[in-house]
This record gives sequence, C-alpha cells and structure tokens, in this order.
Amino acid sequence: MLEGAELYFNVDHGYLEGLVRGCKASLLTQQDYINLVQCETLEDLKIHLQTTDYGNFLANQTNPLTVSKIDTEMRKRLCGEFEYFRNHSLEPLSTFLTYMTCSYMIDNVILLMNGALQKKSVKEILVKCHPLGRFTEMEAVNIAETPSDLFNAILVETPLAPFFQDCMSENALDELNIELLRNKLYKSYLETFYKFCKNHGDVTAEVMCPILEFEADRRAFIITLNSFGTELSKEDRETLYPAFGKLYPEGLRLLAQAEDFDQMKTIADHYEVYKPLFEAIGGNGGKTLEDVFYEREVQMNVLAFNRQFHYGVFYAYVKLKEQEMRNIVWIAECISQRHRTKINSYIPIL
Amino acid sequence: MGSMFRSEEVALVQLFLPTAAAYTCVSRLGELGLVEFRDLNASVSAFQRRFVVDVRRCEELEKTFTFLQEEVQRAGLVLPPPEGRLPAPPPRDLLRIQEETERLAQELRDVRGNQQALRVQLHQLQLHAAVLGQGHSPQLAATHTYGASERTPLLQAPGGPHQDLRVNFVAGAVEPHKAPALERLLWRACRGFLIASFRELERPLEHPVTGEPATWMTFLISYWGEQIGQKIRKITDCFHCHIFPFLEQEEARRAALQQQSQELQEVLGETERFLSQVLGRVQQLLPPAQVQVRKMKAVYLALNQCSMSTTHKCLIAETWCAARDLPALQEALRDSSMEEGVSAVAHRIPSRDMPPTLIRTNRFTASFQGIVDAYGVGRYQEVNPAPYTIVTFPFLFAVMFGDVGHGLLMFLFALAMVLAENRPAMKAAQNEIWQTFFGGRYLLLLMGLFSVYTGFIYNECFSRASSIFPSGWSVAAMANQSGWSDAFLAQHTMLTLDPNVTGVFLGPYPFGIDPIWSLAANHLSFLNSFKMKMSVILGVVHMAFGVVLGVFNHMHFGQRHRLLLETLPELTFLLGLFGYLVFLVIYKWLRVSATNAASAPSILIHFINMFLFSHSPTNRPLYPRQEVVQAMLVVLALAMVPVLLLGTPLHLLHRHRRRRRRPTGRKEDKAGLLGLPDASVNCWGSDEEKAGGLEDEQEAEEPTVNVQVESFHRRTQPVHRHCSQETCLSSIPRRSLGPLAVGHRQPLTQFLSL
Repeated sequence: MLEGAELYFNVDHGYLEGLVRGCKASLLTQQDYINLVQCETLEDLKIHLQTTDYGNFLANQTNPLTVSKIDTEMRKRLCGEFEYFRNHSLEPLSTFLTYMTCSYMIDNVILLMNGALQKKSVKEILVKCHPLGRFTEMEAVNIAETPSDLFNAILVETPLAPFFQDCMSENALDELNIELLRNKLYKSYLETFYKFCKNHGDVTAEVMCPILEFEADRRAFIITLNSFGTELSKEDRETLYPAFGKLYPEGLRLLAQAEDFDQMKTIADHYEVYKPLFEAIGGNGGKTLEDVFYEREVQMNVLAFNRQFHYGVFYAYVKLKEQEMRNIVWIAECISQRHRTKINSYIPIL
Repeated sequence: MGSMFRSEEVALVQLFLPTAAAYTCVSRLGELGLVEFRDLNASVSAFQRRFVVDVRRCEELEKTFTFLQEEVQRAGLVLPPPEGRLPAPPPRDLLRIQEETERLAQELRDVRGNQQALRVQLHQLQLHAAVLGQGHSPQLAATHTYGASERTPLLQAPGGPHQDLRVNFVAGAVEPHKAPALERLLWRACRGFLIASFRELERPLEHPVTGEPATWMTFLISYWGEQIGQKIRKITDCFHCHIFPFLEQEEARRAALQQQSQELQEVLGETERFLSQVLGRVQQLLPPAQVQVRKMKAVYLALNQCSMSTTHKCLIAETWCAARDLPALQEALRDSSMEEGVSAVAHRIPSRDMPPTLIRTNRFTASFQGIVDAYGVGRYQEVNPAPYTIVTFPFLFAVMFGDVGHGLLMFLFALAMVLAENRPAMKAAQNEIWQTFFGGRYLLLLMGLFSVYTGFIYNECFSRASSIFPSGWSVAAMANQSGWSDAFLAQHTMLTLDPNVTGVFLGPYPFGIDPIWSLAANHLSFLNSFKMKMSVILGVVHMAFGVVLGVFNHMHFGQRHRLLLETLPELTFLLGLFGYLVFLVIYKWLRVSATNAASAPSILIHFINMFLFSHSPTNRPLYPRQEVVQAMLVVLALAMVPVLLLGTPLHLLHRHRRRRRRPTGRKEDKAGLLGLPDASVNCWGSDEEKAGGLEDEQEAEEPTVNVQVESFHRRTQPVHRHCSQETCLSSIPRRSLGPLAVGHRQPLTQFLSL
C-alpha cells in the first residue's frame, strides 16, 4: 500500500481512532473488578457499574434484575458503539469492520440452523443471537435444507457469501454437518480476513496478522481437542484448520495426527509461544485451555493499543469489551447463584 | 464588598449530628447552601455506604418519575414548573409519594397499554383495508410487468398445461426498506413458482407506537403448490410482514373492515379521554414530587459522606464553611435539631488541606467573576481580580469597539434587559443564546457605556465624525495664506493643510479626534498610528498592574522571596522593554512638534534597532546617549529571563536541602510557605514529611506552569503564578489590540464610502 500511510491515516480515520482509544480508556480497571467481586447482590453490582463508564445503562430495567438483562444491555451498548464506528468509517476501514462482524454472523447462522434442527421457534433463538452479527435475511435460514440451498437462497447477498466456496455440498444439514459448516466457514473467513490485513500492509498488517494467526492456531487446537472421540476422521479434521498461523503447515499436520491431549501438548511444546500456555493449564486456580487462550488474547489486544495509525485497535477494542462483558457476566452469575468460590476466575484486562 | 478583593476565609467545621436529627439538619443546611461536605468515606465503595438503601429507593422513584415524564411529553403536554418552597420531605413521606406515584404509573401503564393495543389493532385494520384497496387484483398481478419483466418468461403461461393447478394468494404489507430484499429472497428461494407484485401505499399510515406517518409496501404473491406456500410464509415471517387473508369477494370484506375500524376508533377515543385525565393528574403531582425526591436523594448522598461516631449515636460530618457564616450555621443546626429534642453541634477544627475558594457574587459581579473563573479559579485567599475586571474588561472591549452609535445601541439593549430582569418571562426563556446575553447583561451594559465614551474619543458615530466643537483647523487660513485660486482648486483634488502655516492649526480639539480628519485622505493611517500607540500604552499599564497585584499575594502568603525572584524581574523585563516603548511614545508626543515633523525619528525603527544593537544613520536619535541606555535596558531585561526561570525553583531547592541538614527551627517558614496559619497543629514527624512533599510538588509544578502561553487578559489575574515565558510572550499579543480597533472601523468606512 501507500508508503508512510501514517501521514494520511488521520485524514480518514483519525477521529474514529481517537474515539476508540477513548472507549478503551473506559474499560473497567482492576480496582473496579475488586469492587465488583465484593458485591452481595446484583443490585450492588448495578450500583457499582453506575460509577463506571457504563453509567445508567440499567436504569430503565424493571425489577428484578437478572444476569441475562445485564448481558443484553451490555451487548446493546457495545453494538451501539460499533454501529457508530461503522457508520462513520470510510474505506478500507469499513471493509475491515465488516470483516469483524462476519464471525458473529457465522455464529448466528449456525445458531439458527441448530435451532431449526431442534425445532425451536425462531424468536426464541433470535434473542440469543449476537446483535453485532444481525442481518435481515438471517431469520430465513431455516428454510434451507442443504448448504448450497443456504448459499443460493439466503446468504448470497450477505458478506458471508465468499466464504461459502469450500463448503458447497448437497448433504443434508444434520448436527455434524452444521458443525463442519461452521468450521469451514470460519476457516475460510479467517483466511480471507488474514489476506485482507496482509494486503493492507503497514502497521495494520503488523498488528493484526499476529492476532489472527493466534486466532487460527487457537481454532486448530480447539478443533483438535473437540474432535477427540468423535466420528470426525483425521483427514476431515485437517481440512478444518485455517491454512495460516504459527502452526502452519508442519504443526497442523502433526495436530491432525494427534490422538489425545498429551500428544497435542507435545506438539505445542515445539512452539515457544504455546509452550508456556500449555504449561499454565491446571496451575493456580485450575485454569482451562480456554482460559489460558483468553488471557493470551487479552494480552495481544492490549498490546495492539501501543501502536498508532492502524485498524487493529477497533478489533482489539471489541474483543476486549467482549472479554469484559464475559467477566461481568461471570461475576454476576457467581453472585446470583451464590457460588462465590470461583468468582475470582475472571480474566483480568490489564 | 470586602470579600471581593480576596476569596473569603473558609473554615473546616466538624458537625456532630445526632442520628435522629441528622436528616433534618442536612436538609436545612441544603436549603441554606452554607456548607460544602467533605467525603469522609472515600475509601468505601458506593454500595457499602450507610444510606445506600434510601438512595436506592429514591432512585427507584426517579425511575418511575422518568416514566411518567416521558408519557406526559409523548402526549405533547408540558409539566408546569414547581411552585413555592419545597423542602425535602421527612423520610416517612417517601412512602406516601412512592405509593401515589406507583399507583398513578400503574394506571397510566394500563391505559397506555390498552390504547397501544387498540391502536395496533386499528393499524392492522387500516393496513388490511389499504392492501385490499391497492387494487392488486389477481389478473392485474399476473399481467402486470413492472420491475418483473425478466421474471415473466419463467412463469407458466396462464392457460398452459397446469391450468388445473389452484393458484393461491398471499397478501400483506412490509416496510419499504425491506421490500427489495424480500422480493429478491422470495425469487431466489422459490425459483419462479410465484408472482409477486409490490406497490407503495399512496397514503402513509400512522405508526401505532410512535404516531409518525409511515409508508408501507403492499404486496400480493400468487403461487402454486403448498411447499412453496410454507416457504413463503416463513420468509414473510422473518421479514416481519403483516399477512392478511386474501379473498375474492373484496367489496363485502372492505365494508366489514370499514365498520370494524369505526367501532375501534370510538373505543380508542374513549380510552384516550381517560388517558388525558390520568395525564392531567400526573401533571399536577409530578413536578413537586420530583423536586422533593431529588432533594431527598441529595440529603442522603450528603449523609453518605459522613462517618459514624463510635457510639453510633451521631454522625460526624466535616464541612467547609465560610467563617462569616459560622453563626448562621450554628443557628440553623440548633433550630433544626431542637425539633427532635436533641442538639447538633458544630465546631471549628484546624485543617492542613487548602480550603476551597469562596467568592460571593451578586447579579452585577457574577458575569465578571464568570469571565475570571473561565481562566481558572484562584487558590484559597488569593487576590481576586474580578473587581478590576469590571473596569478593564469593558474598557478594553470599548477600545476595540469604540463608536458612539454602536455603543449606544448595545447600551440600550443591555439597559432594556437590566430593567426587565425581574420579569419571570426573562428568566424562563430557554433559548441558549438569549440566556448567554441575559447572563452577561451588566457586562454588556458597561461595554456599551465604555464604547460610547471611546466612541467620543475616536469621534465616531456609526463611523461618521460629528463636530460638536468647531474644528481646530482652518481651511480658510490655509487658502488665504497660500493663495489658492479657483483654477488651482479645479486642478488639484487633493490639498494639504500645513500646520506650520500660521492660523491653520489653532489648537487641539477639546475632546477626542478632530472631525476634520474624516475629510483627510490619510485619515486611516493617522488613526491607526494613534490607536496602536494608545493600545500599547494601555496594554503595558494593564500588564504592569497585573504584576503589581501579584505582590499582594506574595505579601499575604508570606512568600517574600517571590517578590525578589518573580515580581521584580517581571517588572524589570516588562518595563525595561515595553515600558521603555511607552516612554518613547510619550516622549515623542511631547518633544516632536509640527515644526520639526519632517525630520521626526521613527519609534518603530528605534525599537527594532534596540534589539539588534544597531543604529540606522537616517533615523535621528530622540535624545543624546540613547543607544547606551537602550543597550543597558536590553541586557538587563535578558538577564531577568534566567532569574525568572530558575530563581524560585533553585531557592526552594536550596531551602529544602538546608532544612534536611538542620531538622530543627523550620516551623515558621514552613507555615509561611504553605500559607496556612495553623500548619503547626499536628505532630512534627508527619508534618515535616508533608511539608517536604508539598514543596517538591511546587517545584515540580513550576516548569509545567511556565509552558503555558496564555491570553493576555489573564494578565489581570494575580491568581496564577506569573512566569517568565508568559511575561515575554504575552507582551506581544497585547499589541494586537491596535489592529483590532482599526479593523472595526475600516469595513464600515469603506461601506459608507460606496
């Protein structure tokens, strides 16, 4: 791309970058978490959240307050911020932001299809859909019977269309196929997003590529872990791995052959990035692989804010905010279920 | 007005409020507005405080209020402002208010819900009627080709092999922005097994919730086969379309619909009448209740800042209170606690913290204080520059705006506002611009008045000169002396009046600028030069005055070293360079007269040469040995810069070091440094550390303050530390006054000359 794009960056995206940095400053601090953990009831939690930048976002909720209400309101807030960014963005940032929503859209489509499979009503599932991944045709997903149907009828106009190239098939949509579809879509999405960032060059590539590489590797690990003891063949498993990242290609080939967690760990030990992560599992506080990955993700996203003139901050902000929401929901759940022993195992955002 | 000069003396007062009377006491204090509470529970988080339950109840109530208020506003009604004094109600009244508002809110919710449901029904009916009335008859739809020309071939031609197949219809309405997507999705999903025709509604319908007019797209889909039918249902569901049964005998159907909607409208009218009754009750109840609950919440929030005594019998509050108001405070406490049969006590306690700045204003001084505060609020007991601003600000404005006519208009406008200030309509006006003007009415008044004055000096009224007195110049004398003939006059359009010719210049004009200048071609250049010089003089005087005000601060806080290290160098710098310029201007006015005007020296060149240490041979010196004097002044002024920059920090550092070496005998100068008379109350050990810390802070602060480049009005303010860079830099913008004064005049003159 352009040499010295930082010279021109602020012309188009300076306002939004400033805005997103301001938003990032409003993330809850360690002190806030300490206070939140001390709360006795959800009402206390609400009062404390009022003193932070969340403000009066729960003021119009009727009693009694539930965790899901808090979650919905927080999502709404994030969605409002994101919509604002998106409405004020110019190319290529707007494409970048569209890419960001794609992952939520995939999740929503899969969620709806699963719901249709289990004969649940669309309304029931719509509530669970992530607002960032909402699109008009979404609710019609359940009329499709095969992936090609799905593509041809519904998704061809959405940004998800390009990701469908690899997964056109006439197989009926059962649970396994939906899961395969999700992973294939995700793989294709990550690869396209990665290519987009790489082609964009500059600081954006420098910041976003490692984050996406980590995302790809994480998916590879998680897919491997989840496929143990299922009917998924090793060849099929390999086709689900995103074709980039630190593990690509040798690590992925090895992962495809792995048969249990220990073998996976041996493979991870070859990589200096992942070795400490796998070593941290089960350590203090009984961390799971997921927790460890989340922590690493938070770390990378926080670091993204150390560079200027790139789009990574938007990605990082949304991810950090999501993590914060997960934390609050976790704490709220622990409070409402009176299950205080585990309340401290949220992922701190440093 | 004694408090105008400095901010008032403020004392830290500890209040012992017996638990029974705490609420009434704080409520009373709140009404009087005498004190500022200090948060004694800063380390306790918001939800662990003592009165959090009460605060929460108030918040619940406020939530209900917001609901009621929104409903009233949605109905297009306004809430009357509350009348009379409404003190915070006693805590037991909260329950009554709560019950009343809850009941009202519930009633309103019910009625509102009913009305909403009725409106939705009505909307449905109207939509249905509209869809039917849209005239998509099946034949029309089949033969209609708009926007669907590429689709037509896909259809089975009517009368083809499938003629026996039953054709089904789906009719409905969808929001216009979703229509294209729906159309495309239908086509993609059903592959030509349907014909859809979309049409926009001619008449927008009222949206049932918002009441705004909204257009709809009506559609009629005809399709073959049940499978497709189900698909279409699902798709239309997902687009939230309204689907209506489509029957052949539409005329009868439409009549039935008409009747239904009429009945509904009657019911709706009834409901709405009831709704307006309920809203009327809300309008009566809400405003006072809102004020009361807000006060109540404020009282509890203040109580949350108090700490509990060890015996749990009383609350202890720490408040800042003006020393003058202490008796009033005590009286208020006594009165309000007597009712409960206990007594609240207030007594003054020594404090190490710097008290807040308290400056009382009245309606006249408020706007001036506001201007000063916009630049920064002074520290406790610093000299308050606002009283001087009352004169300087309007005057400096008038220097720029000087014009009798314009000033008079402004003065009259402000006068009208001042005279009408007690009318309630004036204060109630919501317009933001109007409020700005109204808030600064006294400022405008003075600005107008001063403008009239400077306008007389400039001799300008709507940019035209007026001749009140006879001019000091005589054209007749000039004409006689130099023998201007008619022919000469016809040839020359420009003539010069020479003051050296006797009888031409009779003496200065009694007041302001001679009106004859408005005839002169060099009018502007003469006025510009005059205004520029005047501005420089005023500016330097103004700045010097600001520096001198700082002296009062240094004396008051006992910081004598700053007299030597700050005020003196500042004055030397200012007066040495710009004060000297003023001297040159006045000297030239006095010494150079019209007779030797031809060889008059240029002050500007002299002043530039002064900094360059050079001299131009064509420019005559003003007085003997001028260059030596000038060189000395420049060197002196430049020598002051390092003193200004480093003097105070080095002094403080030195004192800090010395104190560390000798830990005794430091008490009095520490107290002086901190500017607190009662600094030596606490124990010594922690004292020393704190004092040291404060000094470090001051040292650290100094360079950062230096960096600020401030607007020149700030110069009138002794509230901030006068620092070298400011002095150096702000001396220059002052000169911009002159061009501004010129700028006001020039366009108008040109306009009038057109």
